[in-house]
Amino acid sequence: MVRQAHHPELVEGQQRGIISNGVKSFQYLMPKVKSGFFFFGLSLVILWESLRLGLGTSVEPGPGFLSFCAGLILSVLSLALVYTGWGVRKSQQTLSHRVILAVLSLFVYSLVLDTLGFIISTFFFVGILFHLGEPRRWWSLLGMSALVTLLGYFIFGILLKVYFPKGFLGF
Amino acid sequence: MGTLVGVLPGLGPAAALSLLLPTIYHVPPISAIIMLFGICYGTAYGGSTTSILVNIPGEVSSVVTCFDGYQMARQGRAGPALGIAAFGSFIAGTFGVVGLMLFAPTLASFALRFGPPEYFSLAVMSLTLVTYIGKGSILQGLMMACLGLVMSTAGRDSFTAQTRFTFGLTSLMSGFELAFVAMGLFGMSEILINLGQSFKRETLDTKVKNLLPNRQDWKDSAKPIARGTLLGFFLGILPGVGVAITTFISYAIEKKFSKHPEKFGTGVIEGVAGPESANNAAYAGTFVPMLSLGIPTNISTSIILGALMILGLQPGPLLISSKPDLFWGVVASMYAGNVMLVVLNLPLIGLWVQILKAPYSILYVLIVMFCQIGAYSVNNSVTDVLLMNIFGVFGYLMKRYEFEGAPLILALVLGPMFENSLRRSLIISDGSPAVFFTRPISAVFLIVALVFLLSPLFTRERIGRKAIDMKEDD
Repeated sequence: MVRQAHHPELVEGQQRGIISNGVKSFQYLMPKVKSGFFFFGLSLVILWESLRLGLGTSVEPGPGFLSFCAGLILSVLSLALVYTGWGVRKSQQTLSHRVILAVLSLFVYSLVLDTLGFIISTFFFVGILFHLGEPRRWWSLLGMSALVTLLGYFIFGILLKVYFPKGFLGF
Repeated sequence: MGTLVGVLPGLGPAAALSLLLPTIYHVPPISAIIMLFGICYGTAYGGSTTSILVNIPGEVSSVVTCFDGYQMARQGRAGPALGIAAFGSFIAGTFGVVGLMLFAPTLASFALRFGPPEYFSLAVMSLTLVTYIGKGSILQGLMMACLGLVMSTAGRDSFTAQTRFTFGLTSLMSGFELAFVAMGLFGMSEILINLGQSFKRETLDTKVKNLLPNRQDWKDSAKPIARGTLLGFFLGILPGVGVAITTFISYAIEKKFSKHPEKFGTGVIEGVAGPESANNAAYAGTFVPMLSLGIPTNISTSIILGALMILGLQPGPLLISSKPDLFWGVVASMYAGNVMLVVLNLPLIGLWVQILKAPYSILYVLIVMFCQIGAYSVNNSVTDVLLMNIFGVFGYLMKRYEFEGAPLILALVLGPMFENSLRRSLIISDGSPAVFFTRPISAVFLIVALVFLLSPLFTRERIGRKAIDMKEDD
């Protein structure tokens, strides 16, 4: 079944000439096709790694046996998904800047946690999250970030005795 | 403490048990073991609290409760959902204790008849349930199941000790930690989804009434509680099945028995009553092989087993006869614990419900922070935090592209048992796959799997088509 989504962003894209000369904005293309190709590519990686690990024999399956079978089924299902999704166009909501910033914050937090220590990195991390959730006055932001950070440290670090990284400043 | 652990997303019973292990040196052995047991079944209730209130499973065994429990909360029926979870858990937990007391030796001996072919067939049957559990496309559900199976092979191969899919990371040497995957796929992804939308549609204008289940709720929940209790207890006994799997099976069964299966996922109380009863009964069931055979059935019982050995108690068939005070002390504590769960937690339903009214712009920050800390606390490794966040982004993309996370989680849990039993079966049978069909119990499981796999072609296809058509018309 071929359907075109009537979505203002799609119309806008057409007006901008994004959809022209056969070069379509990827965002407005068939989502199942995109995901199907992604998983097909992933299944090829799985198959390659499984062959490297060794499939063994039927009497004694090797370490790559199950992953090879699962990868093979995944590749077939991915192609089936591409087939079933071909021609079905759906508009997709654009990625919110809040989501992008939140994801970046998550990864930066993971990377600096050891270096800066729990208290400093968490303080800035929750501050960013609070700001993304709802814009606040700076003093409210600082106060809430400090409160949440200390609360987390108290519950987990003191009561439950979780060892937190101290960072180069010693705390 | 168990309920608190269950409520806090990111801190599961395994992590809590690990953190509290040092305390067992300072208390009498029986008290220590009772405390550890209490954490296990306490988390079974607490995990449902966050599943219902904020759609984040406190534990893997509470994943299924998110499907309908959270929808009930969004409809202003958080109280009945929490209430039926509490009562169902109490009934199932009490039955489970009685079962543990009466049937431990007999049931444990039956479970000994299961060999690798039976466990493999049981895993196949469980995995085919993904076709029922997934709300969306069956095709995409199976893809997630395959991916979950591949992920379950990460780490060291138990047969050859070869490392697989570790990509040079030390954190992956023991495989993908279930806690990180679940927290990422269900917790962090939900946060990201909500960040992409307005916060105002949530909790602020939710008015909660009737904090306890009404007569109709009880009428709807009676049979699911009974079925979930029996299913959870008897499946929980089987080593390797685990508590989480029983909840998935219970949900699928309730959906199958329901007169309105298409309503599952929209906030039906049966979808909460059955699985919540199953997981509490299953916890009691998991204790049966551990106490009577010395065989752990999941991570929690493995840690408790380790605690028993630290205390100088040898688990196994002789434990009950040589240390009857331990066994009966645990049984008595479980009776008392179940009563306390209801007595303490029912009055606190109002408190949990008030959490719903907290501004989501504050609540989500707390949830994220707890998830980050919870992930870090398992191994004190930032790589684990990074992995959880990666799965969070993956879960977010999965939701955008309409992939369900539940089949992946189920496959990840079942994967080790699936692979070990498959390889052992083929070794035993000299490579002949007929072994799965010539053994009666294995054959029964495979037939049931086939029924589940083929039935969507004749029944669910109509329901699925209606749902898909409705989606495309939006």
